[in-house]
Amino acid sequence: MTEEALQNIYLNNFHKNNNAKFVPFAGYNMPINYKHGIINEHIRVRTHAGLFDVSHMGQILISLTNENIHALEVYIPLDIKLLQFNKCNYSFILNSHGGVVDDIMLSKIKIEDEEFIYIVYNASRKKVLNKIFKKTILNYKIIQDRCLIALQGPDSFSVINSILNLSSSMKFLDIEILEYENTKVFISRSGYTGEDGFEISILDNIAENFVKKIIQNENTILCGLGCRDSLRMEAGLSLYGNELNEEINPIQAGLSWALDKSRLNDKNLNCFHVLSKEINTSQSIKKIGLSPVNKSMLRAQMTLHNENNKKIGKITSGCYSPILKKSIAIGYINKTLDMSEKLYVNIRDKLEEIQIEKIPFVKKNYKKGD
Amino acid sequence: MSEKKYTEEHEWVKLEGDTAIVGITNHAQESLGDIVFVDLPAVGKEVKAKEELCVIESVKAASDIYSPLDGEVLEVNENLSNDASIVNQDAENEGWIFKLKVSDISQVNHLMTLDQYKEFLDK
Repeated sequence: MTEEALQNIYLNNFHKNNNAKFVPFAGYNMPINYKHGIINEHIRVRTHAGLFDVSHMGQILISLTNENIHALEVYIPLDIKLLQFNKCNYSFILNSHGGVVDDIMLSKIKIEDEEFIYIVYNASRKKVLNKIFKKTILNYKIIQDRCLIALQGPDSFSVINSILNLSSSMKFLDIEILEYENTKVFISRSGYTGEDGFEISILDNIAENFVKKIIQNENTILCGLGCRDSLRMEAGLSLYGNELNEEINPIQAGLSWALDKSRLNDKNLNCFHVLSKEINTSQSIKKIGLSPVNKSMLRAQMTLHNENNKKIGKITSGCYSPILKKSIAIGYINKTLDMSEKLYVNIRDKLEEIQIEKIPFVKKNYKKGD
Repeated sequence: MSEKKYTEEHEWVKLEGDTAIVGITNHAQESLGDIVFVDLPAVGKEVKAKEELCVIESVKAASDIYSPLDGEVLEVNENLSNDASIVNQDAENEGWIFKLKVSDISQVNHLMTLDQYKEFLDK
């Protein structure tokens, strides 16, 4: 993609003025880090709080009608009718063979007594999903006048609470619609870093002041996509395009917990016949965590080998973990692997020994119910 | 001691007799960001100018380090295997990466002076 074709997010100038370094990501010109650098930003999120502008992501409001529920449930393995209001659900848009077209956050919300399905989806999948939405549902609005701001880290609650009036009972995956400067703000206790935190959907024209208020807090800094990636990897969270794609189903990706099992027997789900069989079958591949035995950096696309140099898998994400101070990676291996055998990775045509690690690499720190 | 020379691959070279000390420039470390690992070359390895010799890994990506001159690797900066961030802190001194025994000193004349390198960066 050429630089000219890149889109800017609404607060682009604000980020520029804050010395962001930019990279092209999913068709957007996105901050990868600011002046503190990726490692410091990462550590700040684990110890205090960091603010991410993730306005490149897709947001859509869909009228909550029986027709729309029926149409969405062709692709989404949730029982939408039974979902509680004001709860976020991690789920998928699936193709007819169970492959992941996108991973999404879906919630049912009420805005002034009108009921909606609110979906947040990946920037890289906007074209594909918008086409599906256009083809299948009625009465929807692809949100284009809101920023999506994520505040992540253990200090997030106190920082946000000094600006918005949160209910103290709000826990992980709750979503609320709050009044702020005479507008509606959608705020969920969620994120993708493994830390407590919030994602806030806020109208473009008041977003800059809102962000400025948040970073007035001395322990909160602006963070870019660089540390968002290393944070989600430490937390063992999958990234679309890396761990997830149209050839991998959620069961293979180790995400069967996110499937509503009752839907796997429902003919209205386009891939029910595949997933209902797969859920009871031993999968051919398995998602694993890895780290090098000696010092080296593991990166996506490196191949995994057994003692006889037979290729047995691939790394899908790799990074340096600022918390563990070594490289970590997520990958898929053939499940037939003899776990007593040594495991190797091909780094620039040299085989280096690696070891299997538990996922998540770093303990998650969500605000669960008491 | 001679003045430092620079390459288009953003490396600096300092000659001491027929030994060249090589590292990456301050500009290079800034654009790489946090450096977390340097895959140091093997001592004794013979290389040609512009050949890939080792790899430097930042949080963001892996980058090749090229040999600026023909020669043989004499010594590597072992301090970097314990703390690669030395390259971020002091790229053009303590953050040196390897020393070469240079086989043809006259090759140095093909490298850039500091002024030429600055001009190159402005392009």
